[in-house]
Amino acid sequence: MTRTLKDLRPVYVVGVGWHPYQNPSETPYVTLGVTAIRQALADARIEWPAVESAYVATALLGMAAGRPMLRHLGATGLPLSHVENASASGSTAFRQACIEVASGLADVSLAVGVDKRNPVRRESTGLDHLAEDAIAQFTHFSLLTNEYAHRHGVSFEDIARVAVKNHRNGAKNPNAQRRKERTLEEVLGGRKVAGSLTPLQCTPVGEGAAAAIVASEDAIRRLGIDPSRAIRVAGSTARSERVYAAGLGFDAVLTKETTAVALAEAQIAAADLDIIELHDAFTVEELHYIENIGLCPEGQGVHLLKDGALDIGGRCAVNPSGGLIAMGHPIGPTGIGQIGEITLQLRGAAGPRQHAGARTGLAHMVGVGAVCYVHILQRP
Amino acid sequence: MDAVLLKPTLYTSSGALLGGRCACGHVFFPMQTYGCEVCGRHGADLQPMTLSGRGTLLSSTVVHIHADKARATPFTIGKVLLADGPVVRTLLVDPDREIAPGTPMVTALVSTDDGTLDLRFAPEPSP
Repeated sequence: MTRTLKDLRPVYVVGVGWHPYQNPSETPYVTLGVTAIRQALADARIEWPAVESAYVATALLGMAAGRPMLRHLGATGLPLSHVENASASGSTAFRQACIEVASGLADVSLAVGVDKRNPVRRESTGLDHLAEDAIAQFTHFSLLTNEYAHRHGVSFEDIARVAVKNHRNGAKNPNAQRRKERTLEEVLGGRKVAGSLTPLQCTPVGEGAAAAIVASEDAIRRLGIDPSRAIRVAGSTARSERVYAAGLGFDAVLTKETTAVALAEAQIAAADLDIIELHDAFTVEELHYIENIGLCPEGQGVHLLKDGALDIGGRCAVNPSGGLIAMGHPIGPTGIGQIGEITLQLRGAAGPRQHAGARTGLAHMVGVGAVCYVHILQRP
Repeated sequence: MDAVLLKPTLYTSSGALLGGRCACGHVFFPMQTYGCEVCGRHGADLQPMTLSGRGTLLSSTVVHIHADKARATPFTIGKVLLADGPVVRTLLVDPDREIAPGTPMVTALVSTDDGTLDLRFAPEPSP
């Protein structure tokens, strides 16, 4: 009989931190990473030697990037592993840290994501393909955009409103790569990338870092951490793609399967969610995912969007950080940055981005493969 | 037809696709014997199956920007549900026109810059 995270001892997020996401620069990744970790330690009000294990999420830095970074915090000898899981690398590292604390193998664990924008290298499987080299990620999502618009009779302008909302949120986030409000005209302007997709509807992959420290109740007491600032990890679920009926979008179906398990584990319904941070690398994804998470029936997402139900202060604030479109998507950090945003929101400490009364948040990532990770966080 | 095919392991000079079929019934493209994505059978349980090259368009998009400068833009990518079951995504013959979902599609071989023939999809000619 397997058990869920919630069946094990409780795990709490006690500290979060970032190096702001930004356009590619000369800043060494070590600077990015230690900045985020030191901010998370300060947020938890604990010292580095209290951290008993570390999971370093990175997809683009090559082999063994962690130790040359972590040694500058003091080489305590803590166990260290690297996690690569495409866009979900950070979410995966966070899950591993939670599992380690929940199991009792550690009292305090760190998940840190750090990346620079380096070329992606994927080994050939040995199978040839018709023209996969011509299908970039934005082309994959442009195909899905056209399918969505056709199937549900939705205009490209309405799909682009996702970006207007997320740029508006990102403009209020000091850690966001894009911090400028955009009108619908601006979002629709600029040269087309593929189909109706414009650059402001696509994530700007850049660089940055995010860190989250998780701890047990024992550690919270022993280290004198303020329990009112500790956010419970109420569910953690991971799945990978199966074979779906022809024509179904695998990212959307996989999201539905994974979220259903996570909501059941946390014993809540989609309607209970106050905050969702999800993988909006491209505008149409946000509609797919809110529908498959269960906020509304398929094809109805645009109505929620236009009614303001997904705004900060609406029914459920979706991507209050700005999401991947505005906050950015430096790959390794992204899933951990979502946990950080939800933690701030559930503490009531998100400043001008605060969604009033937020109690429950959900973090969602998909990664090439495809894999899907969902975490549910609740305030005490 | 004497011209050389660009990817002869994937299609024939008549525009058929070289797929496979598992003993469990799952039809896939391209042919491989690593293992079946549905049931995990492998090796001789996976046998070659020639797919007809006909299908229905699910979606298409005109690509205006592409990182590989060797691939001239615009070009159009289509997602086609083959009559035999698998979904394939590849180039359409017409480089700058989206086609309505639901359109019947058929493979066509077109000349590439290096003189080989490569497979594309185009709307099936009206009878």
